[in-house]
Amino acid sequence: MDKISDYILKAGTIDRRWIFLIIGLAVLLPLFFPLGLPIRATNATQKVYDAVEALEENSKVLVSFEYGPSTKPEIHPMAIGLLRHLFTNGHKVFVTCLWPDGQFMADEALDEVAKEEFDLTYGEDYVILGFRPGNEAVVKGMVSNIRKLYTTDARGTLVDNIPLMKNINKVADFDFIFSASAGYPGTVEWVQYASDPTGVPLSTGTTSIMVNDIMPMVNSGQVKGILAGMPGAAEYEALIGTPGIGTSGMDAQSIAHLVIVLFIIFGNITYFIETQRSKKY
Amino acid sequence: MIGPWIAAFLTLAIFSYLYKDNPFYKVAEHLFVGISTGYWTSMFFWTQIQPNLFGRLWPASEYSSDSLWYKFYNLLGVFSSVFPGGGIDKGHHMELLYLLPFALGIMMLLSVSSKLSWMARWGIAYTVGMAAGLRAYGFLNSNVLGQIKGSAFQIFNSDLPFFALASESIFNNFIILIGTITGLMYFYFSREHTGNFGKLSKLGIYFLMISFGASFGFAVMGRISLLIGRFVDLITYSGSAHNHATLWLLLAMILLLGYSAFTDKNNTSKDEPTIEK
Repeated sequence: MDKISDYILKAGTIDRRWIFLIIGLAVLLPLFFPLGLPIRATNATQKVYDAVEALEENSKVLVSFEYGPSTKPEIHPMAIGLLRHLFTNGHKVFVTCLWPDGQFMADEALDEVAKEEFDLTYGEDYVILGFRPGNEAVVKGMVSNIRKLYTTDARGTLVDNIPLMKNINKVADFDFIFSASAGYPGTVEWVQYASDPTGVPLSTGTTSIMVNDIMPMVNSGQVKGILAGMPGAAEYEALIGTPGIGTSGMDAQSIAHLVIVLFIIFGNITYFIETQRSKKY
Repeated sequence: MIGPWIAAFLTLAIFSYLYKDNPFYKVAEHLFVGISTGYWTSMFFWTQIQPNLFGRLWPASEYSSDSLWYKFYNLLGVFSSVFPGGGIDKGHHMELLYLLPFALGIMMLLSVSSKLSWMARWGIAYTVGMAAGLRAYGFLNSNVLGQIKGSAFQIFNSDLPFFALASESIFNNFIILIGTITGLMYFYFSREHTGNFGKLSKLGIYFLMISFGASFGFAVMGRISLLIGRFVDLITYSGSAHNHATLWLLLAMILLLGYSAFTDKNNTSKDEPTIEK
């Protein structure tokens, strides 16, 4: 028994670079050899899907892009999935960005979905209003008067000349808000300054690390569901029946989690052995 | 064509830090800081200061070459990309009240001068005051009142099952009730945490620890997602369409870092002090 303990303790002192390598392989190998593990939607994801399904055709949906390249792997798949769902159901999409990089993400997502997949017309089916600095002040400004904040869209076209912007003056003119958020300013600000005061329903897709902050708002009904990181995106892709980037990463995600859990268990065993020995001697 | 090579190089350079601190990592780090600063500055200027501030001070809709205000504007015309001839056409009307935030903004920039840095306080005071006021309302309405409303539910709701793992149930309602009350008790510091009160507040700690554990789990999940994203890009760039950029760069980096480690080892062994007997 002591020999096994010695062996475990010795293994616990290995160079941490070996652990990095094992985690790297645990992520890399499933990307080359997919296992096809099943994906089942959680209640939080189902709520987002149901909220979009509940919208009448031609609803006006405000989608806010609040993420950049650093969080793209988590948020971009869900943004693409949501846009596919919205355009399939025949809704009009208005895009704003509280983060400067969000504009590039929005351009990329809409090029892929609206232009290439659905062949929609800019200014009639969707519009990118673009980025405005000011964080929550931007959300507050949009609640009172969008046209004061956005006189031009992201392409420099006067908002008054965009057909889709007809009769859109404030947040209350929208039927639904979706915040694709990676931090501040993001979902919390949309809840505080737009959804709660105006009553416009809001759903969100966030990075995994934000989920615990937003979940109380989902449980209280302030937010209609949440797409939680890459797994949330994969679940949403499963619900709309279009597997995408989120789905392809889930095998790697699951295997990597398994390896990390094993490392944590192993770390606890070595800790237990060490404390037992220190008591003994 | 060169974009994927740069992206692959920068990704591998950042990953190389997992081996040890090295010049590739330093290059990527410094590039990131510099480019981010430049990008944010230009983005803020062209999306806010030029259209929304200058566009309101010198709008094209009210341009008059006879006006003293626009004569001054014409002097600024040497920077024609910022101040184009005939005023700035961004759909605004003239609002001279915007001179106030313009002045406060300039005062904030004066913090670089040791003699005039006191002026920056006015701009900062305005920003802090405005942000505090703006946030107080939103926080009270959504985080305090909204959450109190959300936690005031009917525990024995006959429509709910007694137990459900993930969805609403009477059992889960009890957990929320106990977790909320004991969690709040932990943060009540006007009474010593002893006796029954202490036991309940300790129960609150367990609820908090479960919450922290969930946060950690989500944090790990997020980091793995980001790693997957980078690996997916690296795999894409390793294809023939990108001339196997990832593979060539990885090979070059391994060779250079290996050579560096080898020479470092030789130098270290030469520099080691000898012990005289």
